[in-house]
Amino acid sequence: MKFETVIGLEVHVEMATASKIFCSCSAKFGAEQNDHVCPACCGMPGMLPIVNKKVVDLGMTAGMMLNCHINRTTTFDKKSYYYPDLPCSYQTTQWFAPVAVNGTVEIETANGKKAIRIKQIHMEEDAGKLVHDDWTDTSLVDFNRTSVPLIEIVSQPDLSSAEEVVAYLERLRSLLRFAKVSDCRMEQGSMRCDVNLSVRPEGSDKLGVRTEMKNMNSLSAIVRAIEYETARHIDAIENGTEELVQETRRWDDVKGKSFAMRNKETAGDYRYFPDPNVMPIVIDDAWYDSVKASLPEFPEVKKARYTTELGLSDYDANLLTDSRALCDCFEAALAVCGSAKEAANWLISDCMNLLNRRQMTADQLTVNGTALGQLIKLVADGKVGRGNAKKILEAMFEADLDPAKYAEENGYIVSNDTGLIEKVIKEAIAADPKAVADFKGGKEKALMALFGKCMKQLKGNCDPQVLRTLLIDEINKA
Amino acid sequence: MDKNTLLSLEKVNQLSLTDAQRDAVLAFFAKQEEDMAALNAIDTSNVERMVHVMPILTVVREDVEKKLFTRDELQKGAPETMDGYWQVPRLVE
Amino acid sequence: MKKILLDDMILTKDLPTAAGSKMLDGYMSLFDATVVEKLTAAGFEIGGKVPVGEMAIDLVGETCYAGATHTAAAAKALKNDTVSGVIAFDVNGAPRRVAAQNDLIFLKPTYGTVSRYGTVPVACSGETVGVMANTVTDCRQVLTAIVGKDERDGTMHADALTYDLAMDMAKPAKKVAILKMAADAEVTAKIEAAKAEMAANGIEITEIESAELMAAKTAWNILMCAELCNNVSRYDGIKYGYRTKNYKTIDELYTNSRTEAFGDLLKTAILFGSDVLSTKNYMAKYDKALRIRRVIAEVFAKLFANADAVLMPACSKMAYTDADSAFEENKYTAPASITGLPAVVAGGVQLIGPAFADSALLDLAKILVKEGK
Repeated sequence: MKFETVIGLEVHVEMATASKIFCSCSAKFGAEQNDHVCPACCGMPGMLPIVNKKVVDLGMTAGMMLNCHINRTTTFDKKSYYYPDLPCSYQTTQWFAPVAVNGTVEIETANGKKAIRIKQIHMEEDAGKLVHDDWTDTSLVDFNRTSVPLIEIVSQPDLSSAEEVVAYLERLRSLLRFAKVSDCRMEQGSMRCDVNLSVRPEGSDKLGVRTEMKNMNSLSAIVRAIEYETARHIDAIENGTEELVQETRRWDDVKGKSFAMRNKETAGDYRYFPDPNVMPIVIDDAWYDSVKASLPEFPEVKKARYTTELGLSDYDANLLTDSRALCDCFEAALAVCGSAKEAANWLISDCMNLLNRRQMTADQLTVNGTALGQLIKLVADGKVGRGNAKKILEAMFEADLDPAKYAEENGYIVSNDTGLIEKVIKEAIAADPKAVADFKGGKEKALMALFGKCMKQLKGNCDPQVLRTLLIDEINKA
Repeated sequence: MDKNTLLSLEKVNQLSLTDAQRDAVLAFFAKQEEDMAALNAIDTSNVERMVHVMPILTVVREDVEKKLFTRDELQKGAPETMDGYWQVPRLVE
Repeated sequence: MKKILLDDMILTKDLPTAAGSKMLDGYMSLFDATVVEKLTAAGFEIGGKVPVGEMAIDLVGETCYAGATHTAAAAKALKNDTVSGVIAFDVNGAPRRVAAQNDLIFLKPTYGTVSRYGTVPVACSGETVGVMANTVTDCRQVLTAIVGKDERDGTMHADALTYDLAMDMAKPAKKVAILKMAADAEVTAKIEAAKAEMAANGIEITEIESAELMAAKTAWNILMCAELCNNVSRYDGIKYGYRTKNYKTIDELYTNSRTEAFGDLLKTAILFGSDVLSTKNYMAKYDKALRIRRVIAEVFAKLFANADAVLMPACSKMAYTDADSAFEENKYTAPASITGLPAVVAGGVQLIGPAFADSALLDLAKILVKEGK
């Protein structure tokens, strides 16, 4: 018998905010345990939840990026269960009126294009983290992540293979990073995915027993988990190896197996009810429009524009549109310097090099695009040498500065003083008669040595063409 | 409400009652069930639910980070901590 | 300096806050409630804490783990004139009952006019910080110090809506509706006395009956217990407060801590609240109660179209015994709790007014107790 797999995904994405969803604690990743905690997010009585507006902005943004209908009145609800990483023993989430519903995401695989329907996107608070200590045989609780804002994106069961799941997740990741909703880093847990999977005979319209798998920390783990779970289901159906039950399973990537979870989080009735302490959030036209206006072009739209309108190569356009930060910087630089090719080059080679050296990703680029454009223009106008421009760029990584002013202050302005240039050339020739002889003897390389010495003496502040011409003239005279 | 349902309610709420307490609780449930008649006598099919008693809408704050207390302050009254973590019996996943 | 007592639902950083529960015995809050800050800023001295029944839901008996009594402590301090007011958290009407049975003034202000930041949460959709005092003038003075918007409470009215409590209302009440409710002879006599006093002051009185207002108790029991169940689920023996000595596993830690630290009444409320929120009962119980809440609010709105206030008892008798139930006797207090409407207790009776009519209610209270006459 042939089988088909039916997969729906619940994707949790941590939103890129400075503070948590209901309290003002830092939402930053990577602090020391329980350093980003206050009475509210460690479950003490007395503080009341106040919704972070940016969370709603980003919730709407995500909804709009995924073609959802935005609920103009959205509310928060409480979900109850006991688990040590949940300090209040309830999670505030959206059950009755989530921020966004009924969307679609288009994916592309080897089999072509396919629309995956989005059931809903809701905003909620994250839980804390448990660390297991073997020495004392205890579990240790860290509430830093508690109340960090999340959106959960729930798809319809429209996916049918690991390949489609990967395409879907990559698409979500690209859109959400582009819209600055989240950095979507699976390895840091800022993007997590639960897989709801069932298997049925091909052509059947009845769904099989559904299991939910958690704890996959990478795309490749998701692929392995889906393949394992599909095989397990088929084996159970065809060979009766086990009875399938609707349950939550934990993926163990080391063992390459899924295991039924026994923790309390999966048991019982969540007893959802509306949170009396959080008033309904009404999104008026002005608010809606302001978020709508802030949406970026979709990455593929940008890419098409970069190649057709701006004449960039596919390769360059691909690299730039991988990151919203690169695109923003590129477009700002282009607006000032007017050369798409130059702006792209500076970003793809120089900026990426500097990022790599700092072990940063493209999304972490902080260089001011306008300033980069000014720098490119300084070089194009022959006011700053390219070598010195690189030094200025490096300084721009550290601080937001005015390149022209910085060049002036640091002696990076190209000199038009031909007298000085001629003096430097004469000295160089006098100091190295062998090089002069070699060049005259046909050794091109000898010229480069002299050129380099002169440029160094001039601190790079000389138009290379001018220097070259004057140097050759002078050698010929000598 | 019967005893089995009550036992599962206890479990969900992390409580363990004595049999005498259970009898009292069952009597309480019975009384509340009886009183439901007064609510059910009122037709609410065209009434919207009222979660909030006052018409206050959209209370939000700006995304500004603020640290209120240190970890030591927060853990001062903790029954058990270790290295800045709250400590509990080991959880089996 | 004017001294104020706080009931033990109000969190203070210099005094322990137990909320009447062994669970929070000796609990030290890291911060003061907004009302505490406001009182201090207004020149009041915090004179100490008054014990409450566990989580302030018991309005008949004294279920405080420490055995001390709300009634006795608050009433005694006021009667002896050692304090000018007691800040009391009105969850299920306990302070209204105390005021009625001890001939004191208590105002439960309009929901959302006094900050709940720094109160121990129980039934957040209806609970309100109120003021108990010997006289209406004292009550008004303390209230004036504590009302007003607080950015840390997301359920508050904008400042523009905050009435000026320092002023007596220019427009005196003309009509009061009396809700007929069963009560013993003593309470009935108080109602009659109130009627007489109002009549003497030219206030027109009408008698009303309402099945909807009678249903408030059952609906409030559902809403209050559900919210309570959820709110007290944070007390789990992990982060602070009571932890059992008797545990090996996490479930034993949870269950034994909660079982050992919580009293019977609270356990009953937790179990009932959990049940009404279950998938099976949500629509029939919890959702129904939310709709009944609107029905009740609409009944009040209609009454207030023709009357300035509704007069009703605050309790069935002048002293409760162990045989009385907190979830039965709250039929007198639930109508104002479930709607968040302001209610004043004076002369042993209760007056409920429309939202923001707190000042007008205090004026009426003045008439009932013949203050300034």
